[in-house]
Parts: sequence; C-alpha cells; structure tokens
Amino acid sequence: MSAGHDSSSMKLTLHVWRQKGPDDEGRFEIHRLNDVSQDMSFLEMLDVLNEQLTNEGREPVVFDHDCREGICGMCSLVINGQVHGPVPEITTCQLHMRKFNDGDTIYIEPFRAKAFPIIRDLATDRTAFDRIIQSGGFVSVNTGNAPDANALLVSKQNADEAMDAAACIGCGGCVAACPNAAAMLFTSAKVSQLALLPQGAPERDARVLAMVGQMDAEGFGNCTNESECQAACPKGISVTNIARLNREYLRASLVGKSQ
Amino acid sequence: MLSWLQRTLRSSIGKKVLMACTGLGLIGFLIGHLAGNLTLFADSEGEAFTHYATTLNSNPALPVVEVGLTLLFLAHIVLAFKVTRENREARGKGYTLRNDHGARTPGSRSMMITGVLILAFIVVHLIDFRFDKPELEEMSLLAGMVESRLSGTVGFLIYFGAMVPLTLHLSHAFQSALQTLGLNHPKYNCLIKVVGRGLALIIGLGFASFPLAYFFGGNA
Ligand code: FES
Repeated sequence: MSAGHDSSSMKLTLHVWRQKGPDDEGRFEIHRLNDVSQDMSFLEMLDVLNEQLTNEGREPVVFDHDCREGICGMCSLVINGQVHGPVPEITTCQLHMRKFNDGDTIYIEPFRAKAFPIIRDLATDRTAFDRIIQSGGFVSVNTGNAPDANALLVSKQNADEAMDAAACIGCGGCVAACPNAAAMLFTSAKVSQLALLPQGAPERDARVLAMVGQMDAEGFGNCTNESECQAACPKGISVTNIARLNREYLRASLVGKSQ
Repeated sequence: MLSWLQRTLRSSIGKKVLMACTGLGLIGFLIGHLAGNLTLFADSEGEAFTHYATTLNSNPALPVVEVGLTLLFLAHIVLAFKVTRENREARGKGYTLRNDHGARTPGSRSMMITGVLILAFIVVHLIDFRFDKPELEEMSLLAGMVESRLSGTVGFLIYFGAMVPLTLHLSHAFQSALQTLGLNHPKYNCLIKVVGRGLALIIGLGFASFPLAYFFGGNA
C-alpha cells in the first residue's frame, strides 16, 4: 500500500448498503476511508474497505465480481444513484477512483428489482437472466465437423448488428436502471443476436415466445420506452433491439407457425 | 382455441401494444376534435361551428362512435393503472438515491401524472359540453356556451391549464407507441421524434387557442 501519494490519495465517506439476507430489512452503514489511490478501480477501493473491516474484526461487505476486466457481467452496484457509476459505457470494475474527488461521499446500493433478490449486502441473485436464456436463447445444432467458413452467407450489415447485440454481458444494469425494472434490453439483445443470423432462423418464433414468456414469469416490469437502459448499458446496447423484439414477438404471436 | 391471443394480450409486450394502439386511436380522435373545433374561428357568428355541430349530432352513427371512443379511453386508462402497478411491484424496494442516466424526458417521466390530470379534465369537459349539450334544433346555442365557459377565469384556467399535461403526455406518446409496435428504423427514427413532438405542440397549442381567444380576445 503506497501511503503518502498526496496528489492521488483521497479521503472518502461511503454509505454502503448492508443486508443480512433476502428477507432482512437492510440499512446503510457509514464507513470512512482515508487513503484511497486514484489509480484504484472501484472494486479495489471496496477491497480496501473490506481489509479495513476485517482488521477491525467486522464482517466484510459482500459484492459481486469476477473478471474485473469488463467482460463477465458479474459486477454490479448502483453508485450515487447511477448503475455502474457515473461514467457511460463501462462496468463498475472498470470505473476508476480518479472519477471521484477527495472528500466525496459515495452511496453504494445493490441493483434493485423484485426479480433480482438480494443475497447479501450488495450481491444480487440474477439467475432470472439465466432462466430466460435457458428458455430459448440458443440454437440447436448438430455437432460434428466444423462447417466451412462462409458456407452460410451473412450480410455485413446483419453481422454487425448481431455482433453489437451480442456485446451484452448480461449484467442486469438495464433492469436496475429501468424505472420499471423491465428486462427488455437484455431479452431483446439475446433475441436479436440470433434473429439476425441464419442459424437462428429455424427456432425464431418459438424462441421469442418462450423468452418473453419467461421474462414475464420472472416478474420483470413492462417497458415504457424511457431508454434509461440504453443510457446505462455498459456495452452500449441500443433500444433498437427492443423494437426488434416487439416486432419478433408480434410476428411470432400473430402469424408464427409455432402453436 | 383463443389461447394464443390471450397469451399475447396478457404478455408484457401485448399490454404495451394495446396501450400503443389505443393511444394512437386517441391521438386520431384529438386531431379530428381539434379540426372540428377550429370552425369556431371561421366566423364571428358561430355559423360554421353550429353547422358542424348539427351535422355531427344528426349522424345516426354518432352513438356507436361514442361507445367506441369510450372503450378506447377505458382500455387505455385501465391498462395504464395495471401496468403502473405491475411496474412498481417489479422494482420492489426502491433506491435511496436515484440519478437518471439522462434519457428520460419531462414527458416520459410524467406519463401517469399527466394521464390522471387529463382524465380529470375530461370529466369536467364531459360535464360541461357532453351531458349538458343542447338539443339538435338548438345547436346554435353551443358556440355561446363554449364562449361563456372559456371566457370566465375558472373556465380559462381549466381549459388552458389542462393543455400543459396533454402536451407533455403527447410529447412521449407518439414515438413511444411506434417503438412498442416495433416501427423503428434508422431512416425514420429522427422523423418519428420530430413528428411526435410536433404533433404534441400542434394539438396542445391548437386546443389552448380557444381559451386564449375567448379569455383575452373577448370575441373570437
Ligand atoms: S467483474 Fe466482470 S464485468 Fe466487472
């Protein structure tokens, strides 16, 4: 630990959400950190907090994280009222403390949605997303030899759009940011990445019906087109995907072949 | 047999599609209503307006249209309350501190509040001119009724004031409805936004012109 880097060392007051389990009321706990380096990531700052708590013989704060390089979608947090913090298009693990100032007070809350129950403190159960994927977010393929490259032609436009949709890391930030706790951006990205490609075509109708059905069953809200999800998304997923999901769903419902 | 239809309409997307379709229908009604009202400005004796009101009220299809319109309103209102309740439940315990990411507009964030205000206005408006409307032969009285209601301070405040929530509501309504129906395309997205906001302004200012003209102009 490098103490004494005056220009890069900050004092912070943290209001951290603590909750013993899904049914606990929960409350904010106030902690002071006296030597936070501006080079730390937000999660490293929480590591420092946890070290301090452990040294004091107290329970460390539970928070989700895994890759810490912005690709796994495991980190979360609502920081000062904003999903993944104040910087657009990055995850919490990619947020650096230089975006904050010496003396700042920072509120740290978990993602809040009925479909994402709090496990403990800041960690949330986002397996609802896994169940949406399991309901149809895949293609059934015969495994065998790898097909020749370009055996299936995909236009550049579609490849690009499918790739943009596939950038979704499933963090759930869209749900957390949505005023209605809707999961439309996530579900639409997952439907779109397959609907745009020939491999996704055979199961197109069944997929969208099943995934929207599962999304509703999980208790997510109804989209009111506020676009907060797009603004909060660490991967810049566009609400154009939501329009596509609406189209896909209506098409499958009204004129689709699957029951 | 109808299970696919039930499933569709009960789904989150189905409910929103119903909201969008009823909403678009109501926008259509507003445009027609505004066009009809503008006959008030055609001449100072109110002849054009009387003619319009008489023609409209002597049309035997009017009661059917009125029932349809009532159903449109009721479906839109009932669904709005249902969807809003579900959305509150979907959040559960709310955030202590909440800062938007900058995408919400005054219109989008206030749809429920402006909707309720518009509903309250509609009740007053129906009491004023629908339940109290003159007999067919005496339609010439209607223009005078409008004038005396809108030139009074209370009437002016109600009829002018209600256009603020209406304009706000419409500023989000049109583009939101098209997005829900999946009508989104890079070629048209900008146009849809402009048309949506333009419609909101035209309808809002259009209806506001009547209380303004009667209250300040004395005579239209
Ligand atoms: S920890 Fe993997 S994306 Fe942040």
